Amino acid sequence: MKAYVLRRLWQSALTLVGVSVLVFVILRVVPGDPAKMLLPDGAPQSAVDELNRQLGLHEPLHVQYAIFVRSVFRGDFGQSFQYRAPALQVVVERLGATVQLALAALVITVGVGVSLGIVAAVRHGTGYDYASTVLAVLGQSLPNFWLGIMLILLFGVALRWLPTSGFESWRHLILPAVTLAAFPMALVARLTRSSMLEILGRDFIRTGRAKGLAERAVILRHVLRNAAVPLLTVLGLQIGTLLGGAVITESVFAWPGMGKLVVDAIFFRDFPVVQTVLILSATIFVLINLLVDLLYTVIDPRIRYS
Amino acid sequence: MRKSSAASSPVGRRQFLALSTAGLAAAGLPRAARAQAKRSGELVAGLSERMLTLDPANHYSISSTSVHRHMFDPLVDVTNDSKFVPALAESWRAVNNLTWRFNLRKNVTFHDGTPFNADSVVFTLRRVKENTKLIKSFVYQDLESVEKDGDYSVVITSRRPFGSLPAHLTMLGMLPPGAGKNEDAFFQKPIGTGPFRFVSWTHGDNIVLSANPSYWKPAQPKVEKLTFRFIPELSTRAAALRAGEIHVIDRVTPDLVETLKGSRGVKVFDVPAVEAQRWIFQLAKEPVKDQRLRQAISLAIDRNVIIKELLLGYGRPVDSPVPPGLIGHTSLPAKAYDPEKAKQILKQAGYKDVSIDFVLMKDFYPKQLEITQAVAAMLGEVGIKVNIKNLEIATAREQRSAGTYDMFYSGWAHMPHDPDWYFGQWFTKAGSEKLTRYNNPRVEQLIAEGRVPDPKVRQAKYEELERILWDEEPEIWLCYTVAIYGVSDRLRNFEPRRDYYVLLSDVAIA
Repeated sequence: MKAYVLRRLWQSALTLVGVSVLVFVILRVVPGDPAKMLLPDGAPQSAVDELNRQLGLHEPLHVQYAIFVRSVFRGDFGQSFQYRAPALQVVVERLGATVQLALAALVITVGVGVSLGIVAAVRHGTGYDYASTVLAVLGQSLPNFWLGIMLILLFGVALRWLPTSGFESWRHLILPAVTLAAFPMALVARLTRSSMLEILGRDFIRTGRAKGLAERAVILRHVLRNAAVPLLTVLGLQIGTLLGGAVITESVFAWPGMGKLVVDAIFFRDFPVVQTVLILSATIFVLINLLVDLLYTVIDPRIRYS
Repeated sequence: MRKSSAASSPVGRRQFLALSTAGLAAAGLPRAARAQAKRSGELVAGLSERMLTLDPANHYSISSTSVHRHMFDPLVDVTNDSKFVPALAESWRAVNNLTWRFNLRKNVTFHDGTPFNADSVVFTLRRVKENTKLIKSFVYQDLESVEKDGDYSVVITSRRPFGSLPAHLTMLGMLPPGAGKNEDAFFQKPIGTGPFRFVSWTHGDNIVLSANPSYWKPAQPKVEKLTFRFIPELSTRAAALRAGEIHVIDRVTPDLVETLKGSRGVKVFDVPAVEAQRWIFQLAKEPVKDQRLRQAISLAIDRNVIIKELLLGYGRPVDSPVPPGLIGHTSLPAKAYDPEKAKQILKQAGYKDVSIDFVLMKDFYPKQLEITQAVAAMLGEVGIKVNIKNLEIATAREQRSAGTYDMFYSGWAHMPHDPDWYFGQWFTKAGSEKLTRYNNPRVEQLIAEGRVPDPKVRQAKYEELERILWDEEPEIWLCYTVAIYGVSDRLRNFEPRRDYYVLLSDVAIA
């Protein structure tokens, strides 16, 4: 087990080096000039050249990469071109908002998604099942952007129950979290339903019921636990999406998170910020995947790593 | 989320004492003076662009300029009809073509009590010239020297005539010389001489300012607290306004006007902006280097239909390369719509099956794709095929630099209310080198001669040069843009600005 973890960590480190090289090179080979994006449209070429020199972009690619790697080991991810502040600081400032939103969405995803799935599976073929299926289809098919705007218009403008946008209190968190959770929640509901239905038909469930176990115990202790492995895989992947893929939700709700930051940074060719965000999210992604793989052994004792 | 905060703690004992003393002192003032200083309420504005920096010399963002103008005063202000009026400079004059003299306002202090004087001006101007990392630095490279003459006068000399200097200074907030000691620390909690003081900035979300009680314009500001929220998504900005959470929004598009007008408590203001929608040609490239072809294109475009149907009337017909109100504007004949004549010109010039690439910066201007599609159809009518290339902004700009386009969708906001930047950028050989490759020695000469401080000379030179441009058609001028704002009906004295600034120092809330 220990050897396995060490091996995985070593592989993760290699993955991250690969990511950093790829990001670094791709950013610099795609067309687009950072100084031209920073200066007002139509600034003289001399100003563009001077600013690029100031930003260190006149050096050859391998020299820039060497400087970058050396700085990263000192914890310095470079200065953001747009914000003129350390890129790491700019990103970490946004990380809090991103994590808050992702966690809230995760709670909704698991809480509502799993419950809907259980109800649908247990009451298979009834109105409950159909209702939860309809909800799941809606959640997966409504575009985030549209859903967000509709929620704002309904709860913010028409009813005035919740704030339309912004980043202040827990009340500001509700609408964006629901919007962001809609898709993974639906996914989890459908997955829970189908894997539970599969387990429900197994012999050991019949045995459990035959020996007089309460239905509640059958469902929660035997069916759900066995259905949890595929669920965990999907959730692991969804956390990554929730952290990195909230761009549209963040835009609609003016949420100052990392998703919108990185899209703007790509747009404005703010290389240090893009690099920092991508390396940071790759790290998180790799670690969560490792954690999920280890959790399998807890949920299903038959799974072992050597 | 980190908040940089100058006054996050509640009022302490000492401040309380100071405040109560101030209150007692105010109670003793004559009634008129008290009425002047009366302030109440909180204003919240929703801006379309996120503020990136608190350094007034390090951006050309209009949203950031709006915010900064409340904390920092420039030497010169510009009114909505493009008149230059005193701010921290009480008066200014051109001593000769290369020298400006500014006389400064006395008894003005920064938010920490240090006096504003010539040292601040010398520091601010030398900094922006010498630190070429600053975004505004390139504009000030022509400065030769900035010297004080006594505590309240500054003499500025330049290497070549710099008639637009007062205009540029409207965008440069004055800093205390002490800012130079540790700039990073200073711009965490900046101080200026402006009507509001910095309180806190939650990056990407909002900035909070509080009234400066000792502002040199005693009747301003009208509110105690001013918050700018950054809400780039227009539908969200509009929703926040309709929900009553914020009081003013900028950059409203024509198709949203009816919705806003129909919302309770919301008013819509619009004003012709100092911006023209204009599309450039690649003038070194076949076939559009041919003036006849450009003329035919211009004649084939029905500008009025575009203004009426696509911009819903929120555009003004062009009568000059420069919008009305700016120095140099002269009214020239309207651009005609005459497809028959266009066909005739094309036939005479021997053009058959012409095809041109029209490059767009994706999602940059409202309605740009619809407008381009309409133009493609109009040009198709006269036999010109248009290939629309809707490209990501940085990629589009690379293509523009490389010259691999025929037409390029662009606009020009005439900041800072002076056309010198526009002319110098787009119609001199050096300026247009990586843009349009425009080259006309006569125009170049007129632009150079129009740089002098004398407004009469400038007007004459610009009139002549605009006539040349109008005939040459090096660009297609589509229309002047209209700036639209959504405003709560609780606001008093709101002025919709032609330069897209959201200025609220003189605005009260009911």
